[in-house]
Amino acid sequence: MNTRLYLLTCLLCMGFTPALLSQNFTLSGFIKDERTGETLIGVNVYNKASVAQGTSTNTYGFFSLTLPKGQYTIKISYVGYADKEIEVDLSADIQKNIAITEGVVMQEVVITAEPKDKNVSNTQMGTVTMPVENIKKMPALMGEVDVLKSIQLLPGVKAMEGSSGFYVRGGGIDQNLVLLDEAVVYNPGHLLGFFSVFNADAIKNTTLIKGGMPAQYGGRLSSVVDIQMKEGNNQNYGVEGGIGLIASRITLEGPIQKNKSSFIVSARRTYALDLAQPAINKTKFAGTNYYFYDLNTKINYTLSDKDRLYLSGYFGRDKLIFNAKERGFKFELPYGNSTATLRWNHVFSPKLFMNVSGIYNDYDFQVDGGQDVFKLKVFSGVRDYNAKLDFDWFPNVSHTVKYGVNYTYHRLTPNVASFTNGDQNFTNADKIAAKYAHETALYVADVWKATPRLTFEYGARLSAFQHVGPYKSTKNDKQYTSGEIVKTYTGFEPRIAGKLNVDAVSSIKMGVTATTQYLHLVSNSTSSLPADVWVPSSELVAPQRGVQYALGYFRNFKDNVWETSIEVYYKDLKNQIDYPEDYVGQQAEDVENSFVFGKGRAYGAELFIKKAKGRLNGWIGYTWSRTLRQFPAINKGKEYPSTYDRVHDVVLVGSYAINKKWDLNGNFVFATGNTFTPLKSLFFIDQKLNIDYGDRNSLRLPNYHRFDVGATFTPKPEKTGFKSSWTFSVYNAYNQQNPFFVYYDIQNSFEKGTAKATAYQVTLFPIIPSVTWNYKWQQKKMKSDPEHSGEK
Amino acid sequence: MKIKNIILPFLLIFGFIACEKEYIPNLPTQSDDIVVEGYIEAGQDATPAYVILTKSLPFFREIKNANNLFVTGAEVWVGNGTDSIRLQEYCWKDLTPEVRKQAAKAFGIELDSVSANFNFCVYIDFAQRIKGETGKTYSLRIKTADGKILTAQTTIPRRVPIDSAIFIKPPGVNNNDTMAQMRAYANDPKGPDFYRYFTSVNGSAYVAGATSVTDDAFFDGINTKFNLFKSEPRGAESDPSVFGLWKRGDTISVKFCTIDKAHFNFWNTLEYNSNSGGPFSSYTRVKHNIIGGLGIWGGYNASYLDTIVPKN
Repeated sequence: MNTRLYLLTCLLCMGFTPALLSQNFTLSGFIKDERTGETLIGVNVYNKASVAQGTSTNTYGFFSLTLPKGQYTIKISYVGYADKEIEVDLSADIQKNIAITEGVVMQEVVITAEPKDKNVSNTQMGTVTMPVENIKKMPALMGEVDVLKSIQLLPGVKAMEGSSGFYVRGGGIDQNLVLLDEAVVYNPGHLLGFFSVFNADAIKNTTLIKGGMPAQYGGRLSSVVDIQMKEGNNQNYGVEGGIGLIASRITLEGPIQKNKSSFIVSARRTYALDLAQPAINKTKFAGTNYYFYDLNTKINYTLSDKDRLYLSGYFGRDKLIFNAKERGFKFELPYGNSTATLRWNHVFSPKLFMNVSGIYNDYDFQVDGGQDVFKLKVFSGVRDYNAKLDFDWFPNVSHTVKYGVNYTYHRLTPNVASFTNGDQNFTNADKIAAKYAHETALYVADVWKATPRLTFEYGARLSAFQHVGPYKSTKNDKQYTSGEIVKTYTGFEPRIAGKLNVDAVSSIKMGVTATTQYLHLVSNSTSSLPADVWVPSSELVAPQRGVQYALGYFRNFKDNVWETSIEVYYKDLKNQIDYPEDYVGQQAEDVENSFVFGKGRAYGAELFIKKAKGRLNGWIGYTWSRTLRQFPAINKGKEYPSTYDRVHDVVLVGSYAINKKWDLNGNFVFATGNTFTPLKSLFFIDQKLNIDYGDRNSLRLPNYHRFDVGATFTPKPEKTGFKSSWTFSVYNAYNQQNPFFVYYDIQNSFEKGTAKATAYQVTLFPIIPSVTWNYKWQQKKMKSDPEHSGEK
Repeated sequence: MKIKNIILPFLLIFGFIACEKEYIPNLPTQSDDIVVEGYIEAGQDATPAYVILTKSLPFFREIKNANNLFVTGAEVWVGNGTDSIRLQEYCWKDLTPEVRKQAAKAFGIELDSVSANFNFCVYIDFAQRIKGETGKTYSLRIKTADGKILTAQTTIPRRVPIDSAIFIKPPGVNNNDTMAQMRAYANDPKGPDFYRYFTSVNGSAYVAGATSVTDDAFFDGINTKFNLFKSEPRGAESDPSVFGLWKRGDTISVKFCTIDKAHFNFWNTLEYNSNSGGPFSSYTRVKHNIIGGLGIWGGYNASYLDTIVPKN
């Protein structure tokens, strides 16, 4: 390990020497949208005369470009926005904030906000950014626009139908790091995962990293979904919202102090069952209700050219109230996430950008209910306090260095249950208690443009995890006091990626990514449920470890109108966790006592063809892949395909702008049927037939396919600044009866010697049409003042 | 039909119009595991040790005659550590009508429904040459006619009876004066105990509860009270509005047994298994305690609570 570190340090030093030899100056600043003042992520800034001399804005919209002394025409380009060129005399460091305007091009023809040739020029593989405006146009289940479901249409990403939980390149649901303004969202699903917790109106940008995870991310094995909330318009006030079949949304935004500070508040709530209350109240389930809501807020303040402050928060809840008055039975089941992020950006110098974040996040799940004097309470949850310090250092045009440190204090509460029978109280709290842990990571990574054709991104993450007391060991009954170290794990996670430009339009990329995961979500079900419990690494549970090797060829055609790529990967997973096959859910024991451990591997090839421009755009993705697991305690130790092993997976996404008012969208999905564990035989016990199961996941459901279609009608905006649109969508347009699961119905009469066994396949989502009305009002632009252009 | 029981209330709430149709799985057709169901009992009026041997069935859609499933002609031996005896095989066809009546009562067979070719076979220790006793371990050894060997062991744990029970008005607004909820009291001794219960109404055969087993993880060593639910007759569709409730005026009996851990694990996994298989749950493998086959060889230490549900 030390040798590796030494090598890394050498590599880092090597690259920087040329910078010292010539006189260079730096152009730096923030890039923002001229109309809203929102900073823009991933905008290309480069020397028009030499495209290789370029950079792009970071997550906060900051860029830094160091060039030799001279006169330059700097080009700023961002798809969907008009290109901008500025003349710069670089004889000293220049700080300049630049505002760009949305292009005359119709918004709908923009498919990603990536620089035009990012597909080929970016070093990282398997990174896709989806601006929310495009996601909003895609046909959605029940009209609810869903960021996570849009991601599932990308090659290498799979999901159970309708679920916001997803599997990336053979990794489990818990192996995805889902971040909302840097805060981890532990359960990104509402309503058993059928809807994601992200309200599209509050979201600016979504990035999925499925390939080489950059070193600033860690703690998960397979992917990162990095979601940024909008900052709020700092120019004008606005209202935006929508009314759908099951939920409504409203967003308010505007300046607190023009050009300096702004706010955004966004809320969403379902009401389908509130409306049904009069009908429900006539049944024996009167009082039963279900709803979920989300609240996103963010304020930001530009303290100076060098300092910015952001405070953002999310609060969301699901609540099921079940009432069966006939039997006096009632329970409530609330669950949800809350997050808060406070960030301070500081520009130390044109070449050094810092971000400090303090983050709080919480997920909790409760059951509270009972009948008569018998009452039950269950609580589980995760709560983190997280502090981060991240630096972006732009020493010269050949290097962009990111380094930082991250610390989290976790509290993970497994299912703590208490019961009462009116006289006595019972609890498992003596055996099951919250676990506490410190998780720390240091990282450094450098993007090094070694030659105009060859770029490396290399770095490493050093991570450590300490399970600390209070804790009572189940191994030796030792009682650890508060803060006392129970178990320490460390991880060295090198991340290496390389890119070779074959020519102007094609490149070869490769990457090796090592990752360590200290928190685990172990599920006994085929989907993620709100009751699934996150558990830390501990005396009994070792961290999951993974290595991914990937290789890809990228080529663009016809002036970057067509982007194509083929990527192959192999992933090796260690210390995978599952429940044993005879697990029945033991409330009185800590779940970790039941776990079994094994390993996994996944490999595949992904083909991607995208048409990024024009009235007709979209993509075709094809994935061939295998996902395998092997546990000594499962399937008699034989390797088996995982539940989400899909051999073939085809996705077609298309969008066509008919005219200024109408556009048409469609998705087609085809996938090999999901695996399941079939019945092997039936046996008599107690005069009834029971099921003996065969090998795990040894059979597949029929192939899955579905076509969704949607249309958006946008009437001409009114002069008052009020805009509205109608989105019509049909989920599963040809009403394919895709099986969601199979169950058996077995009836027998012992005396008659007769029996009937029937397998049923159940389809959850038949054809589902929906309509959503969206509206937007923006205060008319104030008389333009020179400040407002953003250029100084 | 069954879908209502399976899809969680959430889904119905949002009106996902789930549909189902028959699915014909492409399943392996061979299966010939021997299935053992045998018990040895201690306590008052203990049932003699018996073993039922059947063959497992491959997946089928319909069977008209399941009687050829019984494995006959096997040697079945039960041992208590010192003695070993061979159980004798009896088949329904060989029994006199009088004995059939007794057997029907003991095994919960509905005489009225018995078809002409019904041929239930059981290996039994009628003379009770080996009696179930508290704390003893009993071995089972089976050699089938075609030479297959199966073995198992079980222990009869200490007896824990129900101390008393009262009947109360069922909770909820369903003001049903004809039904009552049983609240039972028992004193769990210190240390792990595992329980299984059966109920009988007006002299019918004892039938196990839908969730018939529990351990004492939450009430170890304490005197506690709990709701005891009436079992549903085998094959009956349960009515949720009266599920588990007792009819006032009925003469009832609760057979309350302690079992060993392996015996508990068997029923716990079996009952969980038959309730799983929904949209989200994965399969559960039953924890059989038979070496060389499927099924259970279980010891019971039984005690009985006999009472009449008061009219008001």
